[in-house]
Amino acid sequence: MTPDAIVQAEALTKQVQSPEGMLTILNDVSMSVRRGETLAVVGVSGSGKSTLLGLLAGLDVPTAGRVILNGTDLSQVNEDERARVRAGRIGFVFQNFQLLPSLTAIENVMLPLELTGCPLPEKEARAGLTRVGLADRIAHYPSQLSGGEQQRVAIARAFATNPQILFADEPTGNLDEKTGGRIIDLLFDLNRERDTTLILVTHDRAIGIRCDRRLELSAGRLLGALN
Amino acid sequence: MRQRRAGDLKVVIAALAVAVAALVSVMTFADRLQRALKFQGSELLAADLVVRSHDPSKSEWTAEISRLGLQSARTVNFRSVVMRGEDSQLAEVKAVEEGYPLRGRLRVAADINLEDAPATGIPPVGTVWVDGQLIVLLNTAVGERVNLGSQQFVIDKVITLEPDRGGAVFAIAPRLMLNIADLSSTGLIQPGSLASYRLLIAGDVSLINTFRDWMRKREEVGVVLQDASNAQPRFRTALDKGEQFLGLATLVSMLLAGVAIARAARNYAQRHLDTVALMRCVGATQRKILEVFTIQILVLGTVGSIIGCTVGYAAQQVFVYLIPGLVAGDLPWPSLMPAVIGLAAGVITLVGFAAPIILRLRGVPPLRVLRRELGALPNHIAAVYITAMLTLAALVFWVGRDLMLASYVLGGSLTTIILLATLSYLLIQLVSRMRWGVGVTWRFGIAALARRAGSSTGQIVAIGIGVMAILLLTLVRTDLLQAWRTNLPPETPNHFLINIQPGQLTDIEGFFREQQWPKPHLRPIVRARLIAINDKSVRPQDFQDPFAQRVIQRAANLSWMESLQSDNKLVAGSWWRVQERALPLVSVEQQYAEALELKLGDRLKYQIADQEITVTISNLRTVAWDSFRPNFFLLVPPALLNGYPASYITSLYVPRSRAHHLSALIKKFPNVTNIDVDALLQQVRRLIDRVNSVLEYIFLFTVLAGIVVLYAAIQTTQGERRQEVAILRTLGATRRQLFIGMVSEFVVMGVLAGGVGALAAMMTGYAISEYLLSIPYRLHISTWLVGVGAAVTIVTAAGILGTYRLWRTPPWHILREN
Repeated sequence: MTPDAIVQAEALTKQVQSPEGMLTILNDVSMSVRRGETLAVVGVSGSGKSTLLGLLAGLDVPTAGRVILNGTDLSQVNEDERARVRAGRIGFVFQNFQLLPSLTAIENVMLPLELTGCPLPEKEARAGLTRVGLADRIAHYPSQLSGGEQQRVAIARAFATNPQILFADEPTGNLDEKTGGRIIDLLFDLNRERDTTLILVTHDRAIGIRCDRRLELSAGRLLGALN
Repeated sequence: MRQRRAGDLKVVIAALAVAVAALVSVMTFADRLQRALKFQGSELLAADLVVRSHDPSKSEWTAEISRLGLQSARTVNFRSVVMRGEDSQLAEVKAVEEGYPLRGRLRVAADINLEDAPATGIPPVGTVWVDGQLIVLLNTAVGERVNLGSQQFVIDKVITLEPDRGGAVFAIAPRLMLNIADLSSTGLIQPGSLASYRLLIAGDVSLINTFRDWMRKREEVGVVLQDASNAQPRFRTALDKGEQFLGLATLVSMLLAGVAIARAARNYAQRHLDTVALMRCVGATQRKILEVFTIQILVLGTVGSIIGCTVGYAAQQVFVYLIPGLVAGDLPWPSLMPAVIGLAAGVITLVGFAAPIILRLRGVPPLRVLRRELGALPNHIAAVYITAMLTLAALVFWVGRDLMLASYVLGGSLTTIILLATLSYLLIQLVSRMRWGVGVTWRFGIAALARRAGSSTGQIVAIGIGVMAILLLTLVRTDLLQAWRTNLPPETPNHFLINIQPGQLTDIEGFFREQQWPKPHLRPIVRARLIAINDKSVRPQDFQDPFAQRVIQRAANLSWMESLQSDNKLVAGSWWRVQERALPLVSVEQQYAEALELKLGDRLKYQIADQEITVTISNLRTVAWDSFRPNFFLLVPPALLNGYPASYITSLYVPRSRAHHLSALIKKFPNVTNIDVDALLQQVRRLIDRVNSVLEYIFLFTVLAGIVVLYAAIQTTQGERRQEVAILRTLGATRRQLFIGMVSEFVVMGVLAGGVGALAAMMTGYAISEYLLSIPYRLHISTWLVGVGAAVTIVTAAGILGTYRLWRTPPWHILREN
């Protein structure tokens, strides 16, 4: 592993069974991300961007190859240990927000704090929601919030534990341009404030340009770094 | 996406199929058993149909019987004195024709106290078969000769069981049976003789019905048609209760089916919201959407119901093989009716529960494609409840043959559902307030429950009903059946002593003391004949009801009582007070009152010997005839009949091994007649036991249906749970944390559902036993504990089983599905 690499992928391949036979989504992808770096993975729909993100975050297992996340070889540990690697150290922002509909905004933000045993989860969560501009929405349920507001809750949740790495999967994909712009600003602001490593998947080159480095995927293969 | 929808469709079809299968299997099995039990009822008549008359049967009747290809046998019943030397004894004589009994078996023994066996044929010409008591009374033995009328007969066998003697508990004398061919030689039967002629008929049900209709059309005077349904009251009680239990099992499984279908239908509609929005987007009109979904629902209903019917038929057939000897002989073939009802019930219920939701689907805005929260189904759609209830009500009344039982089940269920829903909702609100006091995993579980308050309430109600059904059919049923069985405890009186004279009362009591028998309850009897109702004289022909005709023809037994016996229950009016003990009042048994169209306040004039007395009806009561204690249609206050000629009657239990003590009693008091009802009692017990074991199995089916409902209810939220598990796992929750969170939700839900379900089960059980079956029932707190325990265990186990797989699936797969 490269000395200051926080995420490293080696010869990652992901295949799935489809009605037409075995489908290769990712083909022999190797890459690494340095601590504190912001990286954009870009490519057209179906190029395998999100699959790569899922593998890097340990949310999925590769068919071949391995991922070393924060010093842990994910292929050597089970699902529970992968969860422990994520707890408190990894944050996520998804295209479709992935908030728990049964919990209020503050309860959603408190979740990762409580899972890592934070002593004052409510205080932290309240501060986080205030930071994303939702101080007056803390008791609302996701269904009572707009798409932009839901994504803000998701960002507050993602940063709640001060993670070392933040994975973002098309964070503006479900939002209009204006709201999307604000969300991306917020994401980058927080990332700078907390000095987080950011790995962002997007098809929007304009967003990609804001990152330190960009990798382009096409038909499951890494085309290389873009400038 | 398409794959998941196909999966949903399978769930709907499966839920429907399981529900219909449960319904059809219970109904088919119950139907076959009911018909088998009816057949056993026929055994008590010795025939499927009996034509009773005071004149010999007409040749047209027998011609019609042979034309239809039915079996028949004649019997002639009358009383006569049997002589042996100087000894004489009144006997109930019965002349029987070859073929008797057409249903059931006559049992005979070679001598008194010898093992009995089914009789082959009837008494040969020149011989008689008699009750053991007649042999004792006449001081004779098997093989000796007795005189009947002008003819001498050899005593050939001792009768131990006569299938159709049930109604003869109060027959005043022992039985003597002879071959009908010997009857004329006795010279006892002359034109006008007081004899009862019976034509026993057996055969195919439809042919029996044809003959019955044919007979009814002839409107013959003094002819009574009797079948299993109006057989002897004691057996009728047993049969009726058996039928009521079976009906109950069927109705409860129908209700369960409804609940399961309701859950499935709602799920189905809920999952189609997006499809509808998309269809509207691409230009489908509301009418088009309605058409598409109506067709889908109908196809779905039909497919699910057909699968259910097939499985149901197979299941009950497997069951028949699994438990041989459930009823004597083969079970009748299954009829098509349950399948028709099952098919209709499946389709109608699915439509009934789904229609209001489909109507809602029409209104889903196309904008939902962009904003998923739009057009969501509200948690409570009043129309759904109303149509669902109307549908269920129609089905329950259609299927339930017992209207009374159906109303109880329906009314009880409605009340229960409303109570369950209210209670669950309140409890959820209460529990949700407690969520800040618990850890993250528990909070998550409780929050999930509270956030879905509407659907959680629905789920808890569904599980609660499942729990209620299971409890009702396991614990409460055991209590009910136990209560029914204890109506005939082991020491139920098996002998009646009648015709005891007032002067013998002290001596009889003394004899009982010597034998260390419990003190006898001696009940007085004054023979009286009804001559007028409300000053209008009555004749048998004034009444249509054959029972009423008999009552007027014969002398009635008037007895008196200070207070009501425990096996009697007041249904109208009031019992007499101490100061009324000499007033001319009368308490009338309900059936008797109905037959004679009597009501409170009516005046009845009776003739007792050469005196007349008029009494006013002060109350009506029901009598548990199967208590085997002396009971009376008519009771008067204790001091009213002072000075009138009375005899006394009592009943007692004497073990078979000590039956000879009774012979000693009869030797000492020769005028006292002993009536042995032991065989009859055994017959009733056997019937109850058989019905019981049948019920055990029927209930098992219903319990299975209940478990399916539980599972269906838990499955409802599995979709949401998938997403929750994936998110929690992404955030780093370990399996242990997930487990606790999920268990906490299931435990809370189980406690709520089990608690309210058990409460409902106990209340329903109490209502059924108290008001419907009239048997005492005790509430057990353990029922409640078992209910809660069972609900928590089942809900948690099913929930964990349903979600366990998710914990092993990489979360990315689930998140990407959304």
